[in-house]
Amino acid sequence: MANEVVDPFFSVSHFDGKTAVRRKVEIQTIGKNFFLLENERRHGPFAFEYMHFVSQTKGNISYGYEDIDGWRLTLSGPIPEDLKPLLPATRTYGSLIDKLGLGKASVAFIAASAAALAVIITAPQWLAPIIPQSIENNLGDALVGDFGGRICSTPEGKAALSKLTNSLDANPDDLQVEVVNIDMLNAVALPGGKVFLFNGLIQQAESVDEVAGVLGHEIGHVRERHVMQGLLRQLGLSLILGGLNENVGGVFSSALSNSYGRDAEREADSHSIEVLNEANISPIATKGFFNKLSEMTNEENGISSVTSYMLSHPLSSERAAKFDASFDKERDYRPALTKDEWAAITSMCANDKDVKSGFGFDFGEE
Amino acid sequence: MTEDTKKSAFQFHGNWVDFFKIAIVNLLLSIITLGIYRFWATTREREYLWSETEFIDERIEWTGTGMELFIGAIMVSILLVLPISILSFVVQGAMIQDNPKLAITIIIGLSLLIYYLIGVAYFRALRYRLGRTYWRGIRGGSDEPGFKYGLSYIWKNVLGVIPIYLLVPWAMISLWNERWNHMSFGAHKFHSNADWQDLMKRYMLFYLLPFLGVLAGIYIDISSAASGEISTGESTALGAIGLLLILFYIALPLIALMFYSKYFRVAVRGLRLHKLEFDFKARSKDWILLFIGNIALVVFTLGLGYIMLPYRNWKFFVTHMEAYGEVNLDELTQSETTRSKHGEGLLDAFDVGAI
Ligand SMILES: [Zn+2]
Repeated sequence: MANEVVDPFFSVSHFDGKTAVRRKVEIQTIGKNFFLLENERRHGPFAFEYMHFVSQTKGNISYGYEDIDGWRLTLSGPIPEDLKPLLPATRTYGSLIDKLGLGKASVAFIAASAAALAVIITAPQWLAPIIPQSIENNLGDALVGDFGGRICSTPEGKAALSKLTNSLDANPDDLQVEVVNIDMLNAVALPGGKVFLFNGLIQQAESVDEVAGVLGHEIGHVRERHVMQGLLRQLGLSLILGGLNENVGGVFSSALSNSYGRDAEREADSHSIEVLNEANISPIATKGFFNKLSEMTNEENGISSVTSYMLSHPLSSERAAKFDASFDKERDYRPALTKDEWAAITSMCANDKDVKSGFGFDFGEE
Repeated sequence: MTEDTKKSAFQFHGNWVDFFKIAIVNLLLSIITLGIYRFWATTREREYLWSETEFIDERIEWTGTGMELFIGAIMVSILLVLPISILSFVVQGAMIQDNPKLAITIIIGLSLLIYYLIGVAYFRALRYRLGRTYWRGIRGGSDEPGFKYGLSYIWKNVLGVIPIYLLVPWAMISLWNERWNHMSFGAHKFHSNADWQDLMKRYMLFYLLPFLGVLAGIYIDISSAASGEISTGESTALGAIGLLLILFYIALPLIALMFYSKYFRVAVRGLRLHKLEFDFKARSKDWILLFIGNIALVVFTLGLGYIMLPYRNWKFFVTHMEAYGEVNLDELTQSETTRSKHGEGLLDAFDVGAI
């Protein structure tokens, strides 16, 4: 039956890609090649294998031809059975999905997306330790330098500070611990093992033990390579957000608002508790510091956006409680430094005549 | 072939159900591929919209691919976004180290570069779209890469703003003309000589409205003060705020649309392609209805209607486009322009949509 039906609705039109003239043609198939027969002209030969699918609308299928720009062969109506196997496959969603089928492809995409997310989220953690310390040090020097001349320095203060550092870390040589002349209750760990204690924190500390706990926490960030992780996370996020999503403006904001995960804070706290314990310094004062800090941040939520890419410290009573829990009533703790040494640190910024003060720009004056 | 029937040269045959079927699958696929599918999604939507658009007697055809859009986006990501994010570290470092000069230099330089690239992106997107659009086997394009246009984009916009924003219409029309004068379809070049002065009356309306609003506010203030009713001071202040809100959220957008409507009509009317002239028939009312419809569609579907906006906008564009004159099919030969191999990643990166 199929043999005797010559479909009346099947028609072929052709654009040669050279002019906009439409040609009504017939396909003359010779093996894997074909000619297009117009009234008095014959176009070709063409090979089926060089044809590719272009579009499909309402019973019309259009094909293009490899190197001929704009060459089109448009078939309307039911395609004859003998022609079907010679024509290239059509495309709907994209070649990959068409090949797999929408259902299978969806499952594959979900799996791949989950895997990709896992890699993206964890990448900073396993990439950071691979990056050589020397690169991080150079980065730290380039980014931070001398903190705009705000590092406080007196011989006695320096000596006391390094004594404190030595008691809290086994390899203090790759650390640079400084007091900076900024009146804020904060401390930061920066690339290259730089730990800066803000003078506001020193002045408001009730004892040197309190500063020791904070310093232990920042050293924890350095030792766990949290700083590098944070930088990598920023870069990765900006790539993903900026590359696959819309605005570049978002890159700036995401770069400026990097917040460390709770995990990093927990690790740093654990490190602090550990080193305080080894140095036989009481952790109870650090708890007091956390309370003070949480009162302050409740009042004003304003650590300036410039500093926010350094480590910021989300607070919780849980953290204070951890320090509290590690306190042993029976134990005979020693003070982290002598009174004179502590005095040398608290007076360091006041006694340093060269140090610059404040935070932000001083336009015009040097 | 002459086109002198009443029927518009541009016809749209699509229907929203067919488009919705495509758009909803696109949305789901985009979600499960973390957004990567959206390049193929855009392609599918354009394939549909183009194929339902008839010019004279033949439908147009979109031949862009998802892969080339994807590659374009990756290139922008590596060449632009990565350096910018690294520079943003440098800026932070410079600020920490009290080097505001360096920070400001980088920020200004970067802003200029981005502004320049936005101009280039506009040009290249138009070129890409024309290069991927076929009608009767013939496509459009441009031999210009758009780098010069980026410079024009900076200086013309700056010049438009300097005389207290009075030359903005000049900048817009001048850039439109420059852009289209570098475009071609087949062997024919587009010619664009839209006149910016046709826009000025409408622009002054937009320009002067805030002043009128402030004057009205002052008038209310004075009249209430003159009447001596001290107790109404508060309600007068509320009235002034209400007036400002109406001004900024209703009057200004409406007048902006009225201006844009005029701009687009003037711009399209300035366009010629060989023996074809173009017109855009939408009036301010039509634009306002389109926008109110779009907003309502998105709001009342809790955002899902967003996926139908490309359909509505394209349909609006096609149904109001008009062309007069004739097309000689023998003379309309294939474009000789070179085509870039990647899509409109740059435009995509800056999130600046329409042509
Ligand atoms: Zn921390």
